Amino acid sequence: MILPTPEQKAQWEEEGYLVFENAIQGEDLKRLQTAFDYWADACKAEWLDRVEAGESVATFYDIPNPLEKDPIFIDIIDYPSYYGALMAFTDHDLILLGPQVRTVAPWPVSYTGWHPDVGHSNPLHIKVQIYVNDVQPGSGEFGFVPGSHKPDAGPYTRPMRQESMTGHKTFPGKAGTAIMFNSCGWHVSMDNHSDTPRKSIILIYEKRTPGRIGPKQYASISDYCQTPERRKLFSLDG
Amino acid sequence: MPRIDAHLHVFTKASAEFPREISDVWPADREEPVEKLLGEMEKHQIDQAVLVQMAGASIANHRYLLQCLKDYPNRFLGIGLIPEGHPNPADHMAELTDDTGIIGFRFSTFGGPRDIFAKMDVREFAAYPIWECAAERDYVLWLYPNAINAHLLPYLIQEFPQVRIVLNHLAVCPGAGKFSWDEFGRPQIQVTGYNLFMHTTYRLARFENVNVHLSGQYAFSKEEFPYKDLGGWHHGLLSGFGAKRLMWATDFPWILEEPGYGKLTTVIEELLPNLSEAELADIMGGNAKRILRFPDL
Repeated sequence: MILPTPEQKAQWEEEGYLVFENAIQGEDLKRLQTAFDYWADACKAEWLDRVEAGESVATFYDIPNPLEKDPIFIDIIDYPSYYGALMAFTDHDLILLGPQVRTVAPWPVSYTGWHPDVGHSNPLHIKVQIYVNDVQPGSGEFGFVPGSHKPDAGPYTRPMRQESMTGHKTFPGKAGTAIMFNSCGWHVSMDNHSDTPRKSIILIYEKRTPGRIGPKQYASISDYCQTPERRKLFSLDG
Repeated sequence: MPRIDAHLHVFTKASAEFPREISDVWPADREEPVEKLLGEMEKHQIDQAVLVQMAGASIANHRYLLQCLKDYPNRFLGIGLIPEGHPNPADHMAELTDDTGIIGFRFSTFGGPRDIFAKMDVREFAAYPIWECAAERDYVLWLYPNAINAHLLPYLIQEFPQVRIVLNHLAVCPGAGKFSWDEFGRPQIQVTGYNLFMHTTYRLARFENVNVHLSGQYAFSKEEFPYKDLGGWHHGLLSGFGAKRLMWATDFPWILEEPGYGKLTTVIEELLPNLSEAELADIMGGNAKRILRFPDL
């Protein structure tokens, strides 16, 4: 397990995010890209039907139940390059809430505005966004307001335009980059004015609280979770 | 400041003088005439209203609407319909707006690619001529997009930033097969618990020419009046569009029996209780007067 350096710990505390360049690379990245593209293509028609029926969001889509579709989607949950930091920040008591294997269409407006995901009363809630393709500036890259995760930060208001957010930083990056952030912090997907969809995976974690995730949630992938660490991460034993 | 009901319908019995389409809900002998509306408006201190055409898109089908606008020129403005696939929508639009009180047109489809990932050439959209005409002649576009059309909107809005747009009924985009009528004769639209529209139509708040009317709560809510389960939607729209781009409306006559016209005049106060007096006055009529250019009374 690669634990965070003192500098990384300090940045996490002060700014609420960490960037892991080349977090996933080589054969693992190719596996991830291949599985992502295969399943995104396979699921697209059904997603469009659901959009037409008013049952799905029109501006992006997620591969349903990705953990059941390819083991690479399980392997990235506890991937060594960032897993140690996740464990360290949650006192080695981490659970997975869920993955979003997401394709975001180019569109004149981003599909979401600036927002935090949770309030400060929530147990520590962490997301890791992994770019599956290269994400250039102006093509839906992640945006974050450093320091906005702190209880005494702000107040913040949502601006009409993403780029008008006070104090924000954007994170273009190469495929395989992972960005970890405290979900109390204000974040966004910047506008994608390119002609390339943004492919990314958003992994959602939380510091364990009893009963948060039941043992049935990930029972279908139990065979891939034989170590005590994984069973704990996936809440397989309650 | 006037109080303006920004979206409702009136119709009379189907006749040679006022031909219209008929359905189970508006059979030939049903009428919800303008006089009945005026009675409700007077009773509840509503000054003006937007009459939205229904039961047919042909020129002849608009005769009753045109008569109402002619009879009460200071009280009402009108929104017309365009027959689907009309070969020359500009002519149709011009004929209906020749000093008649009709200020714009309502429609739901834009005729572009179904797939948001497809290449978008807005000039190839079937609705492009309608938008072009609206831009040239300063018509208002009264939009109630089907779910599969919502992603096309920003391309058209970017192309025609001068066109005033009013998204109907809380900016909801109904899904195919999700429409029905309830036991009170009201439209019902089945929507998901998760608000999908915050990722599509709510995002259009960035465009200053886009406005939303707050109405049709009864069709989406799973509760009775005052539809508290839609409070979050109202707050989301207020947060995005601001109090200057929202308009209250009742969707008369569907609401006459349940919850009743009078109750709906208070729905904004119920769902947005923290509005200032000025903001509430804007939503209850000031915005409609300014944006739609209602005449002074």
